[in-house]
Amino acid sequence: MAEPLLTFANAEHRHMISVPTLPRPWKKVKGPGIVGLNLDIYSGCVLGLVGPNGAGKTTLMRMMAGILPLQAGTVTARFSSSEAKHVDDLRQWVGHMPEQVRWQGAQTVREALEAIGDMRNTPSKRIEGLLDLVGLSLRKDEQLDNLSQGMRQRLSIAAALLGSPKVLLLDEPFNGLDPVAAEAFTQLVKRLASKGVAVVISSHMVAQLDQLIDRIALLHRGQLLDEGNLEEVERRLNLSNRYRIQGKGAIDIASLLSDIEHEHLDFEGDENEWSFVFRGQAEAVLHSLMASATVTSWSPVAPNLVELLCAATGMEVEDISLEVGSSAMLPMRVPEVEEDE
Amino acid sequence: MSDRGRIWRMSQRIRDRQLFGIRLKIMLPILILFLPGMAWGFSDPEILLPGGHQPSTPMEVLFYASLGVVFGATMCAVLLSFDGISRDRSSGMLEIRLAQPMPRKHQATALILGHWQAIALPVYALMLVCLVIVRYRMSEWPSVVETLVYLLSTGLILLWYTLFALLASTSAKEQGTAVAFGIGVWFFFTFLWALVTTMVAYASGVAIGESNDPTWVALEGALDLLSPNGVYHHLLETQLPTVDRGISSWQAWFGAAIWTIVPWWMLHRRMEGLVP
Repeated sequence: MAEPLLTFANAEHRHMISVPTLPRPWKKVKGPGIVGLNLDIYSGCVLGLVGPNGAGKTTLMRMMAGILPLQAGTVTARFSSSEAKHVDDLRQWVGHMPEQVRWQGAQTVREALEAIGDMRNTPSKRIEGLLDLVGLSLRKDEQLDNLSQGMRQRLSIAAALLGSPKVLLLDEPFNGLDPVAAEAFTQLVKRLASKGVAVVISSHMVAQLDQLIDRIALLHRGQLLDEGNLEEVERRLNLSNRYRIQGKGAIDIASLLSDIEHEHLDFEGDENEWSFVFRGQAEAVLHSLMASATVTSWSPVAPNLVELLCAATGMEVEDISLEVGSSAMLPMRVPEVEEDE
Repeated sequence: MSDRGRIWRMSQRIRDRQLFGIRLKIMLPILILFLPGMAWGFSDPEILLPGGHQPSTPMEVLFYASLGVVFGATMCAVLLSFDGISRDRSSGMLEIRLAQPMPRKHQATALILGHWQAIALPVYALMLVCLVIVRYRMSEWPSVVETLVYLLSTGLILLWYTLFALLASTSAKEQGTAVAFGIGVWFFFTFLWALVTTMVAYASGVAIGESNDPTWVALEGALDLLSPNGVYHHLLETQLPTVDRGISSWQAWFGAAIWTIVPWWMLHRRMEGLVP
């Protein structure tokens, strides 16, 4: 694989939380955030940043966007040369689309983009081009108050692309998009990646990212649990080669799978209509099944976020969901809470 | 575009948004009532103020009419700026702005200048009307120096209240907190400061409210340096030779510099550590 465009090494940012006490009402302690993050981002590659609510996806996005400073660790990049150089300020190179921006006011779409563009010295020709790219050129004189949610999302991505970024950060970009807009958005992201832009998409919906991402980074409690291309991660977490087969007719599922050393994961139905999930070689199982029953469909089973998290943490789903819901979100590998005023 | 150009462009956009927004339209009648209205009233040749005093020079009329700035224009400055940052924070726009490669200090400067211009421009327009009213009623113009001091000091007090409101806006996670803080500061200095002065005078054994008592006058003059409204009046009094409250011109201007620099610096500092 090519050299990474951007590398975070042992990066950390933990939010300061107020814990006022009587003698010290200003007292703050370090709370949840991102801890010990090592992550490479590649040119032309779409990285899916996946994790449950409160995993630290938005915090990491803000760190990458240069909004939150690194409290520890380093960032190196190959933005202007092939040699990795230490970078203090990423904002010039990174375009950031936050989650759910409520564009509002009497400003027009074009004026709103120009206002952001002024902060980057973006020429007006580029703004016109971006409006074309995101499909808003016919609505450029529309007031922000009159835009639909999908149009607002398009405007947000146009704003993120203003500086011709080398890295594009998209925080939960599919929220509020209808299926047609989501598909158009997916095509747009693919087109940008094909032009060499490194794209990072955060989401808690793995299924939506399945057809889009080249790599996946699994985030939980502020830590990167695993990272790589989807097949690699699935294989490492023992979630690869899973298939669902549906059909009719009498079968002996136990003997069928044990005979050819496959792992039986799930079975539903009766001899009239059944469906089962197994891990192994699909061709071999299908071949055996065809002899005694009718197979109506078969398909690979993609892991969902819960399966990935359970596999990566070794926890049960109940533990993970309870844990995310609680306020105890201190990082897993740093048990002590440092105080800082 | 240079850094200055970018700051100026951003401030222009903020100024225009506020100038042509609904909020200023609501406040304009208040400003018209308080500024030209007071200039008209105090320049009445027949007016007799409490204590039997009658304003006799244009500067004296402008000084008395400055009550309109203290009561009306400063409140409008707060109401225009109280959500200068908190609104962008709640809409997500702040995150987009902070992700741009424009230094945060420059963004803070543009915010200050934009919000300040939004209130200063209509106030200055109305102050020019005040000058014409005074000329019409008294057949006399204030001197150039008096006019400049009047305009400059009014610009400064508007800047101070703009800074207070923006500072409050950096801390507020919701609009209610921001407006409560901004209006609270305005209310404290505009209405409650007299109470603070009275309490300090009482604690110091000074006769309260005796305008002929030099100790009371000196104490009130000194305490006024701790209030933006007081400093504003000290600046205007530099052009009133008959008024002496024990504060020299340089002290008044030094106080003005402190009231400008400290909140400006605090806002820059807050912006540096701002989290969307």
